[in-house]
Amino acid sequence: MATAVFMPKLSMTMETGTVIQWFKQEGDHVREGDVLLEVLTDKINIEVESYSTGTLLKIYYGHDQVVPVNHVIGYVGDAGEAVPDLPPSSESNIAKDSTEAQHEQKDQQVSHFAGPITQKIRATPVARRIARENGIELGAVIGSGPNGRVQKADIELAVAAQSKSASSLAPTTAKQTEAANRRVKLDGMRKVIAERMAASAYTAPHVTLTTEADMSRVVEVRSTLLPTIEKMTGARLSYTEIIVKAVASALARHSNVNVSLKEDVIEHHESVNIGLAVAVTNGLVVPVLKQADRKGLAELTVESKRLASLAREGRLLPDDMHGGTFTISNLGMYAIDTFTPIINQPESAILGVGRIHEKPVGVAGQIVLRPMMSLSLSFDHRVMDGAPAAAFLQEIKELLEEPYQLLA
Amino acid sequence: MSTQRELTYLEAVRECMSQEMRVNEDVFIMGEDIGLYGGAFGVTRGMIEEFGNERVRNTPISEAAIAGAAVGAAMTGMRPIVELQFSDFITIATDQIVNQAAKNRYMFGGKGKVPLVLRTPSGSGTGAAAQHSQSLEAWMAHIPGLKVIQPSTGYDAKGLLKAAIDDDNPVIFYEHKLLYRTKGYVPEEPYSLPIGKADIKRQGTDVTIVATAIMVHKALQAAVELEKEGISVEIIDPRTLVPLDIETIIESVKKTGRVVVVHEAVKRGGFGGEIASLIAESEAFDYLDAPIKRLGGKSVPIPYNPVLEKAAIPQERDIIQAVKETVFRR
Repeated sequence: MATAVFMPKLSMTMETGTVIQWFKQEGDHVREGDVLLEVLTDKINIEVESYSTGTLLKIYYGHDQVVPVNHVIGYVGDAGEAVPDLPPSSESNIAKDSTEAQHEQKDQQVSHFAGPITQKIRATPVARRIARENGIELGAVIGSGPNGRVQKADIELAVAAQSKSASSLAPTTAKQTEAANRRVKLDGMRKVIAERMAASAYTAPHVTLTTEADMSRVVEVRSTLLPTIEKMTGARLSYTEIIVKAVASALARHSNVNVSLKEDVIEHHESVNIGLAVAVTNGLVVPVLKQADRKGLAELTVESKRLASLAREGRLLPDDMHGGTFTISNLGMYAIDTFTPIINQPESAILGVGRIHEKPVGVAGQIVLRPMMSLSLSFDHRVMDGAPAAAFLQEIKELLEEPYQLLA
Repeated sequence: MSTQRELTYLEAVRECMSQEMRVNEDVFIMGEDIGLYGGAFGVTRGMIEEFGNERVRNTPISEAAIAGAAVGAAMTGMRPIVELQFSDFITIATDQIVNQAAKNRYMFGGKGKVPLVLRTPSGSGTGAAAQHSQSLEAWMAHIPGLKVIQPSTGYDAKGLLKAAIDDDNPVIFYEHKLLYRTKGYVPEEPYSLPIGKADIKRQGTDVTIVATAIMVHKALQAAVELEKEGISVEIIDPRTLVPLDIETIIESVKKTGRVVVVHEAVKRGGFGGEIASLIAESEAFDYLDAPIKRLGGKSVPIPYNPVLEKAAIPQERDIIQAVKETVFRR
């Protein structure tokens, strides 16, 4: 009996997954634990392993196809065994009467090893006709209809774009110029980011407070601890970990900031879990440093390096991104001083960190150069007001200016 | 003309019959209680006074006998108009209609004509429950040899009824109960509308609704709402199912690229399926930009409870919903 390969459900909120690539072809022998395919969820790529040993009999969905969780995406079984031509819509369809299976076996053998699967293009008749008349390849057009169905309007855009490129010397109309723009469907991570940022910006009244911290002492602390921590852990301490530590300590003391608004309940979090916004290809992920207030700088360094490298490789697990109570967004590596970060809902505040650079500041009647760093705290005015938020930001500033407190 | 005369649908039907009976001695009406009582819905009220009980004939309660007598009268040169109290009762007259009226002209090599009109109220909405509220027009449309008419306005009813009376073939003429009281412009002088010519009840560009009988009015209301959301709806009323003016529908679908077919009859096996298939088979296929959508009654006997009765057939909001699904744009 063939075993079904399912689209895995990797988090509570995951509803669909996108097939990125199959590492095995139909007909290949697979062993339990072999990596079968790679799947993209809202935020991560994950490798799906085979649960059984046998022949990969069937692949139903190819590159870029979106499949609901727990749907059958393929079968592993004995070579020549019969499996449905079309993916069963639910688990109940998998069970197949054995005589029926035998009847089907002959037909199936022909199609089993038919080579790479081709994705059927969904297009309306009128879209097909206009595509045919204009020599447009349907597969190259992104459909705006249900399930990516190519509609008349999509083809008309493609036709306009084609005529634009074909006659670039001809006078262009505004419409043609517009139509020639590259169009990329908003999906996967980009779509999730778009939806979440818009939802946050629209629902939470954002107020952003900014201040500057004198980072002289942090520079000292870092250079003092760097060799020690590197010796202990093999990882290099960066300013990020010190900032995380300072923010976590401040949050532990300002429990009114470490909250989430869920409908009409303000939930106070017991743990201080700091999310770190990490830029990746095509987007942004936020791995979470759990219980950051209880970890030392060495531990935070190891943990943040691990998460950052997983993030860049797209191999974060859902659990690595779950449970954040506060987020830090660091643009210090760019020439950015201040910005207004958008809160990562359902959290209630986010800290934007700018670059550290030397600025003239007044100290005891003298103008001196000091490594200054800007801090921008956006908070949700529904759950807290300016004064407590300012007090929290001030605490961060003071911890960074006297970072030895963090070692206490 | 500034003062257009308005009549109810019911009055339009009556006026047509009276005008035809005045000019043609062969035309007469028969049915249950159509004399002094004036018919189940009052369509023939007052006619017995003008035409007498020879030409406005009360019959026994036997639809089979009424239909059989009418077929015989028609074949011997009369032009009978039969009124069946409820279209549901066609079941009792089915043998006479399906096996006799529909086939006699063919089976006698054209030597026998059957100029019979069978008028009958159909549809739900009066709380008359499962045996008096059906829309069974698809049954009659399935039979070769019968013409089937479903007018949605008094104007159409008067013009099409005259054409039906003038026709030498049997015609089933469905009158929706809820339309009887609706008012509209109806010219006084006799006129005839061609059987087999659809009417564009509203012009539009985004989606075609093909609607019959009372659904024409629900679709018109839905179109007003949809217009507010920027969706331009064209409404085609076929008016006659057999023969069907598919060309007008095809032209409209070629223009809009999208179509919703709406009727009150149960969707399964309903005439909407025929219309949808004809569109899909036609040159309009290459103009379709969305699947053809059918909207029809639920697969239940029409309930007596007025809330359930309404729920069993498409309403304005269902049409709006169906159109939105069909004009889907992201």
